[in-house]
Amino acid sequence: MMDRQGRGLSETVWTRLDRKAGAITELTIRQLRNRLSTWVVLAVSFLLLVCLLALFIGGVRDGWEPIDNDNDSHDWDGDGYPAGQEYKYGSDANDPFSFPGSGDFVQEDYFEWGGVGQHSGNHTWRYVTGTFTYNWIENNPIGGDVFLDVSNLDDCPEGEMFDDFWLDWGSGCSLSENSILVHEASFTGNGTFRTQEGWGGVWGYMEDVFYVEPEPASNYIDEDDIDWTGDPNKINGFDDDGDCLRIGWPGEPEPQWWWENRHDPDGNGNGIDCDVQWILDSNGNVVGIYPDNNVDEDPSEENLAYEDAHRAFIIGTGKIAFVMILGIFLPLFLALGLVRDETENGTLHYLLSKPIHRGEFITYRILGYLIVAGGFVLIMSLFMGLVTASLGPGDSIFRLKDVIVWLGIAFATILALAAYGAIFNTLGLLSARYGVYIALVIGVYEFVMAVLTLGGAEFIPVLSVSHWTLQLIDSIVLIVWPNTIEMHLIATAFQLPSGITAFWNPPVHTLGTESPFVSGLLSVIVLMMITSLMILFGQRQFKRREIM
Amino acid sequence: MSTKATPAVVIDKCSKWYGQVIGLNEVSLAIDGGVTGILGPNGAGKSTLFKLLMGRLKPSSGNVRLFGVDPWESTAPYRRVGYVAETEKLYDWMTGHDFVSTLARLHGMTREEASDRASHVLEFVGLADVQNKEIGKYSKGMRQRVKIAHALVHDPDLIILDEPLHGCDPIARTSIMSVIRDLGTQGKTVLVSSHILDEIERITEQIVILHNGRLLALGNLHAIRDLLDKHPHRILIRTENPRKLAEYFVPEDPVYGVRFAEEGALEVLTNDLSAAHSVLPRVIVESGLKITSIENPDDNLEALLGYLVGGTS
Repeated sequence: MMDRQGRGLSETVWTRLDRKAGAITELTIRQLRNRLSTWVVLAVSFLLLVCLLALFIGGVRDGWEPIDNDNDSHDWDGDGYPAGQEYKYGSDANDPFSFPGSGDFVQEDYFEWGGVGQHSGNHTWRYVTGTFTYNWIENNPIGGDVFLDVSNLDDCPEGEMFDDFWLDWGSGCSLSENSILVHEASFTGNGTFRTQEGWGGVWGYMEDVFYVEPEPASNYIDEDDIDWTGDPNKINGFDDDGDCLRIGWPGEPEPQWWWENRHDPDGNGNGIDCDVQWILDSNGNVVGIYPDNNVDEDPSEENLAYEDAHRAFIIGTGKIAFVMILGIFLPLFLALGLVRDETENGTLHYLLSKPIHRGEFITYRILGYLIVAGGFVLIMSLFMGLVTASLGPGDSIFRLKDVIVWLGIAFATILALAAYGAIFNTLGLLSARYGVYIALVIGVYEFVMAVLTLGGAEFIPVLSVSHWTLQLIDSIVLIVWPNTIEMHLIATAFQLPSGITAFWNPPVHTLGTESPFVSGLLSVIVLMMITSLMILFGQRQFKRREIM
Repeated sequence: MSTKATPAVVIDKCSKWYGQVIGLNEVSLAIDGGVTGILGPNGAGKSTLFKLLMGRLKPSSGNVRLFGVDPWESTAPYRRVGYVAETEKLYDWMTGHDFVSTLARLHGMTREEASDRASHVLEFVGLADVQNKEIGKYSKGMRQRVKIAHALVHDPDLIILDEPLHGCDPIARTSIMSVIRDLGTQGKTVLVSSHILDEIERITEQIVILHNGRLLALGNLHAIRDLLDKHPHRILIRTENPRKLAEYFVPEDPVYGVRFAEEGALEVLTNDLSAAHSVLPRVIVESGLKITSIENPDDNLEALLGYLVGGTS
């Protein structure tokens, strides 16, 4: 074989170096392959990823429940009306006696606590405990579970209430055809109430009562979609459910406490009531979203949340499973003993009696480890990519960009594997005995720094490998899916539950350019520098080491 | 082959301390060509000497040169050196051929070259028929030979063998000894260490004796041996009637005394071991007694060392 200059390829210095590199790298790979622990670690990692994929596939198969982003579909106080309907009628969504058409209770008198009281008349009785003998009783007129459901009362057991049996709070039982026994219950009826000894209660009447049909909860789910024209100069945002404009709503009561604010239809202060202000930069990228209160706050999941959740799964798995777990654990098991074990076994003598520089030896050992660990990560990321790309939301059959992001995650993880491998190998060299403990401490430190980075910390974790690796993933995600930043802004602006805001942060170290390419490149450079410095440090240590 | 200008091994006033303990004490030595036995009891400094030569250890003082180059600073001389370390660990999951050819590639050989060379040296050390077996299944002697094979794979000029016969059975010993002798006859410089005088004696006459890190003697084993023979020696003869045998020995010239050290044995004391041995057969025949064994308890390294350091043997 000849090279371009016509020299025999077998004679060049480079090929000879190549052969040595190849031999040591290959030996390292074969050694790792022959160790049971390697297979155990890889199998455990594989199982972890398969479990995550199973969760993902389970999620996809279950489909999506519409999400009530503004929490107004729920009947919080149990009076039968969803909160959104209560807001509309000005009733208190947290008070069971206050609901649309409930009117106002006017108290006439009350039973004294501590004795036995008796009173007759046609009243609304509240929180009374004792016996009611009636000639007329209203059969739970409003719905909900606050007023006693008279038509469904069981017969009372034998004996005395509280001595021989107990009634639930707010419930009652039937004593005879026109007599009931109640515990802290509320109802309306004409008759005589006699309190249980020691118990109290009040009576009065309701005014301004009218009937309102309770709306189904689904009316208050996905009822206010995002209305973005794409042009920031137009009026954007529309209050579909009317809870910002509040036309025809009863007047809001005056705030009673200093922390209570009146509803402000122009919360963003742009002079337009109930709109959303969208700010774009010169490149047309959304850089800010400022909605008025209660505008576009419960969008349909079809457009946003599915994509958000899908991306969040990829980014979250990439960051936590790949970088924070595989990235730290694989090197702990595979790299710590790369040179240390050879020294301890004495097999190092065979390798070092060959004309090979000790520094080169370390480099090729790490290369061998990296091929095993990195190869595994690459295969696993492609595997994950194939599954998510095939099952993800959207019109396309195969989401190619998913695979590209997964490859980016593999790239970032491999850089982390190199850095941790170099660090842990050097620790093994520094102290065969305590290296593993120091490595564990570093592993925990890196994990904590990664958690801080996930939480959005920008400067405390810069002295860690995990910070730069996660930032590299953030950059790659933004390069492949440029609208991630917009999704992040939308989720933050409209306070939507979002996996993207949990797992992804816009890259911070962009040197003022705000370009994901800059932050990505910077992260790669920092990670490679850490790796090189640790290898150099390890080489220096190993070169001066006397080998017994 | 090394040239005259740069001997294979030069050690100049070299000392090595391990903390407070001295491993090698002001040793000066130059070796080039032929088989040299490095002889010394355990802890004499043999392995220290070899590790200094192989750049594993840095001399505390003095200089070490391998083909004129400091092995602590440069790995260049290893192209011409084969080293068989004392370690018994090997990559048990590899086959013999795999092991030797993988290490051959660290000399910059291609896969094919390495494979050919590996087969060649494995045949030379007598492992051709088991070269495709895993090393884990090798006997102790085979393991020693595969270690020797890896050191020979690049056809080195200098071969250093640290206790190559250690733990081998007699058959393996004989075969390894013959390999080492062959290397010597091929004109290589061979350094071989042992703590057993008899082993070295069967390989070479040129020896270096180390004791407590010091260079005690250097030269021809037989010359040293002759000096030793003139020193008081014991011959232990086991027989049914030691007292009767003693009567026959006492008048003999080389014998200056007898002792009954243990039951059923006679200890003959002499100042001239070879002369004593030459009269031995005649005396025994004359006595007509049945002899079960004849031993030379002083003919070992300890006795030699005792003599060389000036104590009693």
